[in-house]
Amino acid sequence: MIQFFHVYKTYARDVEALVDINLHIQKGEFVFIAGPSGAGKTTLLRLIFRDELPTSGQILVNGRNVVKLRDRAIPHLRRSIGVVFQDFKLLRDRSIFDNLALVYRVLGMPSAVGKRKAANLLRLVGLSHKSQMAPYRLSGGEQQRVAIARALMNDPLLLLGDEPTGDLDTDLSMDVMRLLGDINLKGTTVVVATHDLNMIRDLGRRTIILKAGRIVEEHS
Amino acid sequence: MERLRYILQDAVINIRRSGWGGIASIGTIAVSFVIVGIFLIITGNLGALVAEWKEQFQVTVFLEDKITAEQLALVKKRIQSERAVKGMGYTSKEEALQSFKRELRGKESLLEGLGENPIPASLQLRIHEAYQTPEALRSLTVSLARLEGVDDVLYGQEWVDRLTGAIRLLRLLGLSVGLALGMASLLIVSNTIRLAVYARVEEIEIMRLVGATKMHIRAPFLLEGLIQGALGAGLALLLLFGAYRATLWQLQLTPGQIFGIGVGSFLDPRWAGAMLVAGASVGAFGSLISVHRFLRA
Repeated sequence: MIQFFHVYKTYARDVEALVDINLHIQKGEFVFIAGPSGAGKTTLLRLIFRDELPTSGQILVNGRNVVKLRDRAIPHLRRSIGVVFQDFKLLRDRSIFDNLALVYRVLGMPSAVGKRKAANLLRLVGLSHKSQMAPYRLSGGEQQRVAIARALMNDPLLLLGDEPTGDLDTDLSMDVMRLLGDINLKGTTVVVATHDLNMIRDLGRRTIILKAGRIVEEHS
Repeated sequence: MERLRYILQDAVINIRRSGWGGIASIGTIAVSFVIVGIFLIITGNLGALVAEWKEQFQVTVFLEDKITAEQLALVKKRIQSERAVKGMGYTSKEEALQSFKRELRGKESLLEGLGENPIPASLQLRIHEAYQTPEALRSLTVSLARLEGVDDVLYGQEWVDRLTGAIRLLRLLGLSVGLALGMASLLIVSNTIRLAVYARVEEIEIMRLVGATKMHIRAPFLLEGLIQGALGAGLALLLLFGAYRATLWQLQLTPGQIFGIGVGSFLDPRWAGAMLVAGASVGAFGSLISVHRFLRA
């Protein structure tokens, strides 16, 4: 599903974000990328959905070399990937439902199909009864569940999470992790970046530990 | 089809959200186009006036009081042989006095005390348009002035020439003023769209994230600019037409009656259409500048 071959990413003034990353994530896996902040976790995720290009090395996502992807093909890559962030990135000027509707509008789905899909996903994350509410009236955990539902709107093969539980307390974090586990069980590959080693220690998932842009440890 | 509908809806939402900025854009375009439109109406009507004058243009040959019947016949014959002359009319001393009196209506007393009729008889020559050039007219008048019994030959060509020059100047002025205002409109529209882009930065980020194409992100903004431009130009046309009708009403005239000749018409429909297209283009181009600069990826 995801393969990195000798990937380097260097920002201006020789800041080395990633150094010689080699990694292989299989279809259907659930993988944590762990490490302190500044270790390069976010950069690694951004490379996967082609928000950034590596300085050198090759990256395959679902059989496509994203480094050589043409600009015009980027939207197609992103349609096969769902992304959730620490700050949820929900639009405050519209309801929960309309936050999901944005996706089917962007993808040009017929509105009947899109509405049904949005309703189903809100049921999956347990928020059907709050679909007409504004995001700020929901708790952090609920907002993250909305963000996950939105990330699933395009039936992604791959779900990426960048510190999705960073702003949540332990109980809510475990809720979100369970939800991500359920989604993984249905076949979606899940990759989650987190700095919270304590939280993931008991989950028994494959974990790749980054430090200063290098993979220093890996266990499953 | 579905996609097109979403893009249209987004554009309408953008316009609603743009509020005062959008109104400022539409207003600026409208003001610019009103000014350009005024120039167009003025030059259009002056052009019609000149055409009318050229049609009615005449050379007047004033005759000496002591001209004999034979001399008059000779002068007429000579004039009829001129290729430049389209037609000829004769006004006797008595007719000329009567028409002068008519023009002085209410002030006839000015003429009292004049012994004999001081106004000369004259011939009015209508001239083919092709001969209404300074050179042709000069040679015609010089040769007619030499004839026995002819006192003087007068024509108003200087006026036609000056007016034609003035129209050319007005057109040039209108064009440069229009260009300057067009640039101003462009900047203001592009600024409004830039604000709209800023206001939607988060939404655009998410659209990109879920795989929106560039076209899908940009089209609503382009459409917003296009609609603003067309609305501005449309508003300008309405304002111009209102002002035009009000002016006619104030002067108690019907269209085409100003100066008693075929002048006083509104913009040619083709010009009005061109203004709408120009407005839409200014709007679309203005938003293209912003969108291009702020939405590179």
